[in-house]
Amino acid sequence: MKKTKQLIACLTLMAIGLGSAHADYALNLMQGVTQVSNDLYDLHMLILWICVFIGAGVFGVMFYSIYHHRKSKGHVAEQFHENTTIEIIWTIIPTLILIGMAIPATKAMLELDDVKEAQMSIKVTGWQWKWEYEYLDNGIHFFSSLDEASNKARQVGSGVDPRSVPHYLLNVDKPLVVPVKTKIRFLYTAADVIHSWWVPDLGWKKDAIPGYVNEAWTSVDKPGTYRGQCTELCGKDHAFMPIVVIAMEKPDYDAWVKKTKDELAKANDVSDLSHDELVAKGAEVYAKNCSSCHLPGGEGVPGAFPAISGSALVNGDINAQANLILNGKGMMPAFGKMLNATELAQVITYTRNALGNKKGDEIQPKAIQALQGGTAVVESKAAEAPKEAAKVDVKAKLSKDELLAKGKEVYAASCASCHQADGAGMAGTFPAITGSKLVTGDIKNQVALMSNGKGMMPAFGTMLNPVDFAAVVTYTRNALGNKVGDMIQPADVQPLLAKK
Amino acid sequence: MSAVVAEHEHDHEHDHHDHGPAKGILRWIITTNHKDIGTLYLLFALVMFFVGGAMAMVIRAELFEPGMQFVEPQFFNSMTTMHALVMVFGAVMPAFVGLANWMIPMMIGAPDMALPRMNNMSFWMLVAGVLLLASTLFMEGGAPASGWTLYPPLVLQTGKALPFAVFSVHLLGVSSIMGAINIIATIFNMRAPGMTLMKMPLFVWTWLITGFLLVAIMPVFAGAVTMLLTDRFFDTSFFDAAGGGDPVLYQHIFWFFGHPEVYVMILPTFGVASTIIPVFARKPLFGYSSMVYATAAIAFLSFIVWAHHMFTVGLPMAGELYFMYATMLIAIPTGVKVFNWTATMWKGSMTFETPMLFSIAFVVLFTMGGLTGLMMSVAPLDFQYHDTYFIVAHFHYTLVPASVFILMAAGYYWLPKWTGHMYDEKIGKLHFWLSAVSVNILFFPQHFLGLAGMPRRIPDYAVQFADWNMISSIGGFIFGASQLLFLYIVIHTIKGGTGEKVTDEVWEDAAKHGLEWTLPSPPPYHSFTTPPTIIPTEHI
Repeated sequence: MKKTKQLIACLTLMAIGLGSAHADYALNLMQGVTQVSNDLYDLHMLILWICVFIGAGVFGVMFYSIYHHRKSKGHVAEQFHENTTIEIIWTIIPTLILIGMAIPATKAMLELDDVKEAQMSIKVTGWQWKWEYEYLDNGIHFFSSLDEASNKARQVGSGVDPRSVPHYLLNVDKPLVVPVKTKIRFLYTAADVIHSWWVPDLGWKKDAIPGYVNEAWTSVDKPGTYRGQCTELCGKDHAFMPIVVIAMEKPDYDAWVKKTKDELAKANDVSDLSHDELVAKGAEVYAKNCSSCHLPGGEGVPGAFPAISGSALVNGDINAQANLILNGKGMMPAFGKMLNATELAQVITYTRNALGNKKGDEIQPKAIQALQGGTAVVESKAAEAPKEAAKVDVKAKLSKDELLAKGKEVYAASCASCHQADGAGMAGTFPAITGSKLVTGDIKNQVALMSNGKGMMPAFGTMLNPVDFAAVVTYTRNALGNKVGDMIQPADVQPLLAKK
Repeated sequence: MSAVVAEHEHDHEHDHHDHGPAKGILRWIITTNHKDIGTLYLLFALVMFFVGGAMAMVIRAELFEPGMQFVEPQFFNSMTTMHALVMVFGAVMPAFVGLANWMIPMMIGAPDMALPRMNNMSFWMLVAGVLLLASTLFMEGGAPASGWTLYPPLVLQTGKALPFAVFSVHLLGVSSIMGAINIIATIFNMRAPGMTLMKMPLFVWTWLITGFLLVAIMPVFAGAVTMLLTDRFFDTSFFDAAGGGDPVLYQHIFWFFGHPEVYVMILPTFGVASTIIPVFARKPLFGYSSMVYATAAIAFLSFIVWAHHMFTVGLPMAGELYFMYATMLIAIPTGVKVFNWTATMWKGSMTFETPMLFSIAFVVLFTMGGLTGLMMSVAPLDFQYHDTYFIVAHFHYTLVPASVFILMAAGYYWLPKWTGHMYDEKIGKLHFWLSAVSVNILFFPQHFLGLAGMPRRIPDYAVQFADWNMISSIGGFIFGASQLLFLYIVIHTIKGGTGEKVTDEVWEDAAKHGLEWTLPSPPPYHSFTTPPTIIPTEHI
């Protein structure tokens, strides 16, 4: 007993000593900076206090008993062993408490899940071990990984004191930037294994799963920098793929969008580089993208990650190596999606002329582009889309008859195979258009459903252009046995459509 | 313990039975005796408790300070994975099977287990399974490092170890199923006349229900890992989205096994607590039948709440709400149990020997783990709590100061019966106080870490988490070192203990509570060769 007391005293002193050293004993959930996170905080506190009261009650009775009903005090045991009344009471009271908890919990759950009417969408893809962000509304697209300083300090035996690194392990090279007071819909998926995206200040986490697209939403109240981490074990560097969200006032955000777009355009430059330039820059690309698996010296990890040094592939046909790097294989990710042509040319040239390899050859960015072909080049695809869109005059006002005529064509091509040519649908599988509550109801709901899809219904927002879309909506409401009488113009449809 | 039983045979002239154990090491290899097999299970579990504990020490050492000091991240992940697998499948489950082997025949008035040869086989398959699992530590690519849940696609990136780990799970599963069938068969067929189901001690009841849980879930786990195996080696795509499979399907299957699995570890814990507390409160157990029904209710609910481990995978709203409500329901039967234990102590005449101390600590600390469980049953809040240290704190509270403490309590409670020697009460109490204090220093700060934003399964962390991690690690080291006292006590007691002669009852009036206390200490090689005629009903 005496030893125990000494031990407690010692630990208490130690705790106080540590506390005065950096005083960072966070105890509770953070309130966060969104309505959801604040609501969840309140719910958390409510349930925490319920638990504290239950605990205090039970332990109070127990310790009273332990103190008073002991043999050493001469207490004689009573022999009762059941009491139906009290057993019913202590079954019913917890049930009532649970119902009391379930009501606010259900409300919070519904709030958390309500991704409707988002003003912008960001697609987040988890990779081993970085995050990819795609702004679906303006085409900005980049990868975000652990910052250099943390990455150096976190190596075993680096000799760097983590306390000397600002925001150690919670800092990235390119943060996610969002506007404040804007409802943002996040779409989550993953390229390799399951990850989970968590920024505590936003109030939730969501799993990013290969083959799935999960949704979540936020609307940040306060400008600031909010940090989080991957929370689903995703391999060896799971601890080293942080998340940084910077919330900005709208004008600042717009300026950031413009600046970032300009930078991304510059990155697409594919002019030739000298051999030495390629190797020198390739070393940086290697350190950032390859060394965590293949190791800084290129020796790899037997059984898991092949060596670069002396590798038959790296010392063989340069196009074969480039293809593997572009398209990935097994655990090796498809770097064609992550790096631009210049970076790829640099790192390929580097691996062939460093890390113990002396092949002497090189590859230029243009050659990489050629290997990627027409399909893999993101820019060219992006460039085609606006051209096609340009043919469609969204601003033109169409008469109702024009819309109906066009709508009939669109319906025949896109809808009739399921909903049938006469709009009767197929009972149990495809709902009828004729007399449908949705079609004869609020036009916005119809547009939203057609745009986003539901169950078997595909998301036509990504398939039809605004003119066709407006036409077919108008058609369904005024034909196939429906007589709503209203119409919608392409210009009104456009903002409601799901973006590509 | 071989010396003990041999000694007993010379000491107690009333043991006329011809069948003694085989001599030497062969006795342990070919034994079909429930006590010998129970001893093997318990000693094996104790060894694995230290192996798994050593892995925990590696984890806490690396987390002592921010920065990577001792191990590579991949090895750290192997440690968290193997720590869990070894503790669950190598320590806690076998320890309870060991207790079942030793105690169930003695508690129901049977001479031995119903299926003694299968009993031997299930033990040795356990050893094979755990050794196979441990051998993966030395394979190319390292031991599995994807967490004990073995989620694809990550687990498919395991090196050479994957097929060995999968086969090890198969062996452990077969071993558990055989153990469970044996226990069920024994309870249904070997009870003494008059030992009706509703007169059975609660430990027997909880194991009967656990037996059914095991038979139901182990094949499910075996199926899941087999699908992993074929996905990796035979080009199937059960869990590969690119081939039309579904990574989340694995999680549904795994947790259909995994949630009842945690009750496999806690239901026998409830049984032991319900056995010990009345003896030291000198009162009958309060609400015997409600305890039985609550155990059955918890077991049933355990099958229909699995997706509360998956609130953030993107379940449909109906799923989120259903699994939230169903999970909350578990609080009701669990609450009944805690209230019953409290009512058993109420107006008793309590003494606080080491088994009672561990049992009381269990009730208190398990309740804390239960309350945090209630918090995370609230689905929207789990969007904050999920996969953080808050969860780590929660499930360690329900496993370490619950299952492990109760295993310690069981050890202190029955060691004198098993060996015929008394353990050293002073060292026992020292062991208790060191464990009880340090386990809280170890796990309580982890609640704070989780709420403040520290994810689980990370080898390194941001500096704002440094202080609580250091305190947690200090608690961990003290807790780890304290368990060496238990090892000492076990060896010391086997070798003769305090030298005090223990009676058949060992504890005051214990024979009123259980048949095992009517047998000599240590008991004869075959427990009840003729069925007992008087069934103690004090526990009812």
